[in-house]
Amino acid sequence: MEELSYVGKSVPRKDGVEKATGRALYTVDMVLPGMLWGKILRSPYPHAKILRIDASRAERLPGVKAVITGKDTLGIKHGFVETPRYPPDQYPLAMDRVRYIGEEVAAVAAIDEYVAEEALNLIQVDYEELPAVFDPEEAMKPEAPEIHPSHPKVKEPYKNIGGKTESGWGNVEKGFDESYLVREDRFEGQLRTHCYMEPQATLASFDLSGKLNVWTSSQGPFIKRAKLATTLGLPFSNVRVLKAYVGGAYGGKIDLFSHEFCASLLSIKVQRPVKIVCTREEVFESARHGQPIFVELKTGVKKDGTLVAQQIRVVNNSGAYRGSGVVVIFLCWGFVMLCYRIPNLKYKGYSIYTNNPVRAPQRGHGAPNLRFAVESQMDTMAEELGIDPVEIRLKNARQKGDILPNEDSVRNCGLVECIERAAEATRFKEIYGKRKSQEGQRIRRGIGMGVSSYFSGSLIYPNTSAAIVKLNDDGTVSLLTGALDIGQGAETILCQIVAEELGVSMDDIRVVAADTETTPVDIGAWISGGAYVSGNAVKMAASDARRQLFEVAAQELEANPEDLIAKNREISVKGIPGRSISFTQAVASSISKRRGNPIIGQGHFRTMKDMPAHPSLATTKGRWSDNYAFDAQVAEVDVDMETGQVKLVKATTAHDCGFPINPLLVEGQIDGQVSMAQGHALWEEVLMKEGKTLTTSFLDYKIPCAKDLVESHYIDVITERYEKDTPYRTKEVGEGYVSGMVAAIANAVYDATGVRVKTFPILPEKILMGLKEKGDKPR
Amino acid sequence: MKKQLIELRVNGESFELAVEPQKTLLEVVREDLGLTGAKEACGTGECGACTVLIDGKPILSCLTLAIEAQGKEITTIEGLAKAGELHPLQKAFIRYGAIQCGYCTSGMILNAKSILDENPKPSRDEILKGLEGNLCRCTGYNKILEAVMAASTGED
Repeated sequence: MEELSYVGKSVPRKDGVEKATGRALYTVDMVLPGMLWGKILRSPYPHAKILRIDASRAERLPGVKAVITGKDTLGIKHGFVETPRYPPDQYPLAMDRVRYIGEEVAAVAAIDEYVAEEALNLIQVDYEELPAVFDPEEAMKPEAPEIHPSHPKVKEPYKNIGGKTESGWGNVEKGFDESYLVREDRFEGQLRTHCYMEPQATLASFDLSGKLNVWTSSQGPFIKRAKLATTLGLPFSNVRVLKAYVGGAYGGKIDLFSHEFCASLLSIKVQRPVKIVCTREEVFESARHGQPIFVELKTGVKKDGTLVAQQIRVVNNSGAYRGSGVVVIFLCWGFVMLCYRIPNLKYKGYSIYTNNPVRAPQRGHGAPNLRFAVESQMDTMAEELGIDPVEIRLKNARQKGDILPNEDSVRNCGLVECIERAAEATRFKEIYGKRKSQEGQRIRRGIGMGVSSYFSGSLIYPNTSAAIVKLNDDGTVSLLTGALDIGQGAETILCQIVAEELGVSMDDIRVVAADTETTPVDIGAWISGGAYVSGNAVKMAASDARRQLFEVAAQELEANPEDLIAKNREISVKGIPGRSISFTQAVASSISKRRGNPIIGQGHFRTMKDMPAHPSLATTKGRWSDNYAFDAQVAEVDVDMETGQVKLVKATTAHDCGFPINPLLVEGQIDGQVSMAQGHALWEEVLMKEGKTLTTSFLDYKIPCAKDLVESHYIDVITERYEKDTPYRTKEVGEGYVSGMVAAIANAVYDATGVRVKTFPILPEKILMGLKEKGDKPR
Repeated sequence: MKKQLIELRVNGESFELAVEPQKTLLEVVREDLGLTGAKEACGTGECGACTVLIDGKPILSCLTLAIEAQGKEITTIEGLAKAGELHPLQKAFIRYGAIQCGYCTSGMILNAKSILDENPKPSRDEILKGLEGNLCRCTGYNKILEAVMAASTGED
């Protein structure tokens, strides 16, 4: 096989110098001449009718240029999901009702932030408060206040149902009857949040040609354009979303946010640029957080640990609008069935409206909650059966070539090898189960394993990525891609692919990215398909450019195109030193002899090319993804038996990501996910009281800091490979590895203490309470 | 409030500016001087993204009034590379993969510089303790630690 020069190498990131020198421009840094500042007035009530809004005093305040309310909008709703079953349900600015504290009611554009803020105080809104409900189980009761009518296709007499997913196969009742051991447990996830360092921010500038230009901190410009254009009633082509660097997102900046709509509408109204930057407090109080989910899990196994049947009920508290709630209840099904072979399964997931802020995907989107539940219960059952955690996982693990119940093939699946190698590298079997021998010690060591799997791209608008690779006169290359680098390194890996295909160096490639006007469409950085879908589009564009270069060079060198190689911006004939022409000469020759063809390569790629759309969110029928990543992760923790404090000492991630395009970036993704898992499992929680967010700063909501650093180890299990000229398969690395790690941490805590905590986060008091219940004497 | 005329020394250059006395140093370097490398992520001194150096010491510019910074030597991330040559910390951050989204990077590098200036051979724990006030949500700090360690050993 041909040796690769760029793909598979730890190339430093393309945007490193710009970021290290402070020159990278983020949306918060953007300034335009004549720019105004926008501010948003939010609802102080969790549920209320809007009776009247009087903005006249605000409008009269010197320095105020415009005030908008729901009446100034077209009243077109939007949603994370917009399908016939789940039509959009949220106005970009509240019309006649507010359904959560923080919902956007009016927006102001003024000469500076202080005037805009002052103007908010002058807007008089008369509300009539309505009864509100915050807990999903309360919201499902018939007597609960109605936030939205229950979904018409859901038969159960529950209230406030935003959506339901139902799936299954085999016969679970029969399966449970035939099982040697059956367990039922309930696991609860908490409300956690992204904590991207760059707050939500948008700069909108409507120009006199009728075009709206938008810079916004996002995860992909094309979905933003679609939703902005739709809600503003503009043709898609009249909205241009441009690239700005993004200061973190993790799932929290995907679909339309009200501040983006408001900045745009204000700009249209006043014909001047308008910028809105949310404060950190606003982000905590009213931007979207992750999905808090609880899982009821019933599992039956044979005496040897083989899974027989599994029944799962998932309830999601989606907040006041659907958000991604109806997606997460689909995904939770997926994250149950991917890792292990389950002959009989019954799944029900409900997404429930409550008077809380709307929820969004957050790194893993349901997987951390599900894997926490499944992996915790698996360890409990293994212990009851006297089987060790490694063996029970190996016994049930997915294997290469398995066909999933939705007819996806897992093709290459390295899960077994991940489990084996993670166990071996951590000497799992030697360390595990030593609780007894540590008795009397204040600090006890525990080890735990968790496995997870994640899809690598699926179908959702815009369903495709395309790319252009064009040659320049000087032999360098320009890559035009709609992909957005949100820190994951998209531009870097895409350049590695161009470099590999064309034989140019990383420095020879210029990138123009993430601009809906000048770059081709892209799926965005939120569906875990960047490396696979956008990567293949770029590969195709680069190899198209190379094919054209070789055709020209073949003529010049009197050789066959198949005998040519490209290296260092030169094309030469294999085995004949000296017979070569430079890219510069080839481009010149193409222009002069091929009617001006300057050599522009094009490529496009779509996952699941034969599928019309994404699988049914209601029934799970239909293919979901081309490729699935797998991992086995091991956590080693120290627990202070006196205080209940848990320290994650070491994290080991054995993962099948296909093959790493850039090992350094893959390691960075793993480290970041381990860190997020640490916070998620052990302490992070957005606290709310009656719809009001109590944790509104980084002091209240602590994320891991440098002192919390976890020793992180990586094991690559390679199952796919990159070859020139053919599409490759690789798998995602950006969000699957939170899940195995949160599960591993929970299992390690149990191993150390004998306390099984079933609600996240695993706070010290829960461990101490568990020890007390067990009758363990305090030291 | 009435503007005051102040003189700031930033990255070795002097600037005469008319600023409102309540304006923070972060606002002035970003808005008046166009040095947008320093970032606001919380505005309340919890995250370290706005870190700049005053007389070599790291301070939170979102909690510092611009008028307080008169007569002092202010260094922002834009002043770290000399004559086009990146500072060893900047090189190490790039090489070791210590940058992802990059939003915390300016503050992180400047704080790391102050740690190394005070103690050129810090231990692992001294580095982590020193960087405790700079939040990063992307990296888990592993590669940042590696980069600072590498820079401290003079590795290029």
